[in-house]
Amino acid sequence: MRWRHLVGLILALTPIAAATEEASVSVRDAWVRETPPGIAMTAGYMVLQNRTSRPQVLVAARSSGFETVTIHRTIAKEGMTGMEHAPQIELLPKASLLFAPGGYHLMLLNPKRTLHAGDRVDVTLEFRGGLVLPVTYEVRK
Amino acid sequence: MMASVVLAAILGGAWLAALYRENGSRAILLPDRVMTLLPDPKPLTAFAFTDHENRVFDLSRLRGKWSFLFFGYTHCPDVCPMTLATLARAHENMAKSTAGAKDVQFVFISVDPSRDTAGKLMQYVTYFDTTFLGVTGDNAQLGKLADQLGATYQLAITPGVENYPVYHTAAVFLVDPRARYHAVFAPPLDAEGISRRFEVLRDLEGPKAT
Repeated sequence: MRWRHLVGLILALTPIAAATEEASVSVRDAWVRETPPGIAMTAGYMVLQNRTSRPQVLVAARSSGFETVTIHRTIAKEGMTGMEHAPQIELLPKASLLFAPGGYHLMLLNPKRTLHAGDRVDVTLEFRGGLVLPVTYEVRK
Repeated sequence: MMASVVLAAILGGAWLAALYRENGSRAILLPDRVMTLLPDPKPLTAFAFTDHENRVFDLSRLRGKWSFLFFGYTHCPDVCPMTLATLARAHENMAKSTAGAKDVQFVFISVDPSRDTAGKLMQYVTYFDTTFLGVTGDNAQLGKLADQLGATYQLAITPGVENYPVYHTAAVFLVDPRARYHAVFAPPLDAEGISRRFEVLRDLEGPKAT
C-alpha cells in the first residue's frame, strides 16, 4: 500500500518535472528579418538560454509558416563568407548562445505569406531528448 | 600618403598601428581595423556589368562619385541583408553630414547572375535604399573587377538544388571619384564606423580625388 502511494507520487510529479525542465531552456530577443520583395527566404535570430545544469542539444526547428526551417551558421572560408548547415548545436549548462547576424541563425525558407515588420512568426525548437520549445519571433526590418 | 597618415592619426587617435603588404601595395591598417586605406590608390581597369535598370555599368560609372561596392547575392538570408541595411544607415548618416551624400553611390554586385536578373536586383536593392544600384555580369566580367579588388566568390551550383551555397568576400570596397580602389571596410561592419571614417577621408582628399 505504501509503495503504491510512492509510485503514484512519482507518476504525479513526473509531468511537473518535465514542465520545469522545459521552462528552463528559454529564448529572448527573438526576431526575424523582414523579407525584401521577391525574396523567399529570411533569417531568425535570438538568445538561447540553457538554465539547466545539463547540456542541451538543439537538433531541429520547424514552423507551419515556412516550407523549411534549418539551423545555419555563417562561416568564413578562404577569406569569403558563406553558410553551412549546423545539424545540431550544443548549449552548455547554464550558458547562453547568441543567434545573430553573421553567426548562427535559423534559415527560414519559402514563407507561406509575405512577412512585414511587426508581424509574428511561430517556430518550434526541438532539443535532443524530446524537449520542445515554442518561440514567437517578431518580424523586424 | 601624407593625408593618409594624418587621417590615420585623426581616426585612430594613434599613429599607424600596422603596415602590411598585399598585392604589392602597402596598406595602412587603422588601429581599430574598421577601414584599411591604400596609400597609393589603385586605378581600376575596364569591366562591363548591367545595372538593375538594364543600363551598362562600366568603369565610367565609377567616375565622379565615391562608390561603395559590395559583392553578394539576393538568395542570401544573413550577411547580404545585414550589410545592405548597414550601408543604408551609413548613407543616411552621410546625407545628414554637412557635405551631404550627393557624391556617393552604393553598388551591390551580384555574383549570382543566373538567379539575379535586373528585375530581381531592382526589387532587392531599392528595398534597402531607393538610391542603391544593383549590378551583375557574367563570370568573366565579375572576375575582372573582383580580381582588382582582391575580392573572391564561389558558387557551388548543384543541379536540382534550388538554394545552392554561395561564398563571397564580405568586405565593402571604396572606390574614389577617379575610379581608383581607395579603401576597404572589413566586417564586422557598422554604419557609424563607415560614415564617420568616410567623411574624414572625403574631407582630406577634397578636390584632389575628383
